[in-house]
Order: sequence, then structure tokens, then C-alpha cells
Amino acid sequence: MNEDNDKLSAEQLQQIKDATRAAPPPHVVARWHDAIDSAAEREAIAARPKPQSFSPSSFFWGAAITAAVAFGVAIGVFIGNDKPVMTETYANVEAAPQAQPASAFSRGLQVHFQQSRQDLTRLDNTVNGERAELVMNIVQQNRLFARMAKQNDSEDLARVLRAFEPVLLRLSSEDITPEEAERLRSQLAFELDIVLTKLSQRASDRTDAIET
Amino acid sequence: MVAVIKERSAPTKAEFHAAIARRSPGWYSACLRITRNEHLAEDAVQDALLNAWNKREQFQSSSSLETWIHRIAVNSALQLLRKNKPERWNELEFEVADESATPAEIHAGSELESSLANCLRRLTDVERVCFVLRHLEQWRVLEIADELNVNEGRVKQALFRAVRKLRVSMADLRSDDHE
Repeated sequence: MNEDNDKLSAEQLQQIKDATRAAPPPHVVARWHDAIDSAAEREAIAARPKPQSFSPSSFFWGAAITAAVAFGVAIGVFIGNDKPVMTETYANVEAAPQAQPASAFSRGLQVHFQQSRQDLTRLDNTVNGERAELVMNIVQQNRLFARMAKQNDSEDLARVLRAFEPVLLRLSSEDITPEEAERLRSQLAFELDIVLTKLSQRASDRTDAIET
Repeated sequence: MVAVIKERSAPTKAEFHAAIARRSPGWYSACLRITRNEHLAEDAVQDALLNAWNKREQFQSSSSLETWIHRIAVNSALQLLRKNKPERWNELEFEVADESATPAEIHAGSELESSLANCLRRLTDVERVCFVLRHLEQWRVLEIADELNVNEGRVKQALFRAVRKLRVSMADLRSDDHE
């Protein structure tokens, strides 16, 4: 069987090509531009000259504090903009049906972060291929939650989730050095801890609100 | 005369932004044809951009940055599709039992599609991917076989079935137009 004997004409192929051409939504194109900016920014930060009195612990804390400040701001934005679900629920009975899915979403997100945190601690003991697989699983889950956050009108949370992606993808690269992998892994673990703490606090606040 | 060969440095951030502005609809369309899922196509392009950025030192100036990213995006789309539907990529799927079906049977067994874009919907994932890679992306059969981890014969079968179905679909459309 030779596929060359059973071709469509050039005109037909062009028609199919034209008919299946699609423009990406503008917000998606903006996301692609952002992804490049974020990757370039992270690279620039990583390339900055190290302090002369370098010690591994001081470097770690420096990176950790920078990450904490950046993420603190991002989380502050999304927590600040987030609608007070329980308050609205009690103020308006009609809002109640929305509270349950939002709460289920938060719990799911919490589980995802906890799982990701555990997976990241396992990264040390994995070889390149396994590491890429493990990290890509986290990326897929992350994207799922980012989409759900967007559907729940939590654009800021979606942005925070997407902010993890360039780091995760860099971690899955084959050409990453063990030092860089360790630094990124620590940074991610630290950032995940912060988000987890914030999510726990929100859950606890809601419980208090129910009890009072 | 001394020829001055200017070694091209890795593409810059500005060049990536310019490439996105110029060619992202083409990358997205290619990924969408493969995945038939908007979210997967968006993710494939994003993966491709970040991969290309991380490996930009390896970029060869013999091809354009846009073409290079296009190829990476198509590979990312294939990866995501296989990851999402692993069962579709086993040997059995390549042996879809419609080898004996005649164009008339295919015609009778399927509804008339309303548009040319929908013609591709009549194909299985395997047939569509083989067709898109071979005829719209200009890959060689051997490259497709390597990528899908099957032998060339399987790819040729899938291509044969795909083209046959598309011919029927397009003939249906033409006869609709004439009526």
C-alpha cells in the first residue's frame, strides 16, 4: 500500500487547512507572553552574581525569603480579592449553593498541594525520566486547578497556580544541574507550604464563622 | 575577500514575543488539529514555548525561530494527546477493523457533515494524527512511525483510511453544494 497513490489534491488539502485554522483566544496569547517573561525573569534572578561570603544556608534563606515575599504578595492579592464565601452565604440564602462547590474546590486544591509537596520530596531519589514524568503529572494537575479557579472567577488564584508552571517545567528538563534542581525543589516546596498554610487558615476561618 | 561569518546568538526574549505575535495562530491551529481539544492545544503551545526558551542555545539559525517552535509545539501536542488517551495508541487502534469497508459503506454509516472542518471528525485519533502530520505538517512516513512507535506499514494503512474517508466526506460536501 502506498499512501502516495491515494492523496488528496493540493487544493483539497489547502481547503482542509483553511477550514481548520483557529485563532487562540487573546487571554491565552497573553498567557504565552507571560510565560516567556516569567521564564526570563527567573533565569535573570538565577544568573545574578552570588554574594562573596557565600554559604549554602544563607543562599537558601535568601531565595526562600525572595520567594516568600513574591508569593506573599500574589497570595495576598488573590485572598484579598476572593469573595468572602461564608459571609455571603449567611447574608444571602441564594448564595448557599455556590458555597459548597467552592469549599470542595478548596479541599481538592489543598489535597493537590499536599500531594505535590510529597512528590517534590521524592524527586531527590528519582532518575531523569521518572522526575520528568512526576513533574509533568504535577503540571497537569496544576493546570486543571488553574482552569477550575478561572471558572470559579478566581483569576488571581489561577495566576498563582500558573506561576508554578515555569519552575516545574524547568525542573523536568533533562539539562538541569543537580544544584539547580535542588534549589528549585526547595523553592517550590517552600512556596507550596505557604499556599497550604493560607488555605488551612481560610478553612479554619470558615469553620469559626460557622460555629459563631 | 574574507568572508565574515556572523555566528547567530540565541534568540532573545523580544524575538520570542515577536514570534508569538506573528505565528502563534499557526502553532495553535496545528496543535488543535492534532488534539481536537482547545485546552490541550493551549498547553501544547505553552510547553513548546517554555521548552524552546530553555533550549534556545541549541537553536540552529538554519531554520526560523517560528518554524522551530512550530515543530516543538506539534511534538508537545502529540505527547499531551497520548498522555490523555493512552489507550488510543496501542497496536489495536492502528488495526481499526474498517479495512474492508467500502466508501459507500462509510458514506451510509455516517451522517453528512455540515462543514469541511468537520470532515476531520470522521477520522479516528490515529488516522487524524497520521493525516495531519503527513499531509498538513509534511512529515515523512518514517518520522511519523518513529514518533508513534509503530512500523511504517501501520502509518500507511492509517493514512490510506484517512484519505479515503476524507474523499467521501468532501464529495458529500460538493454534492450538497450542487443541490
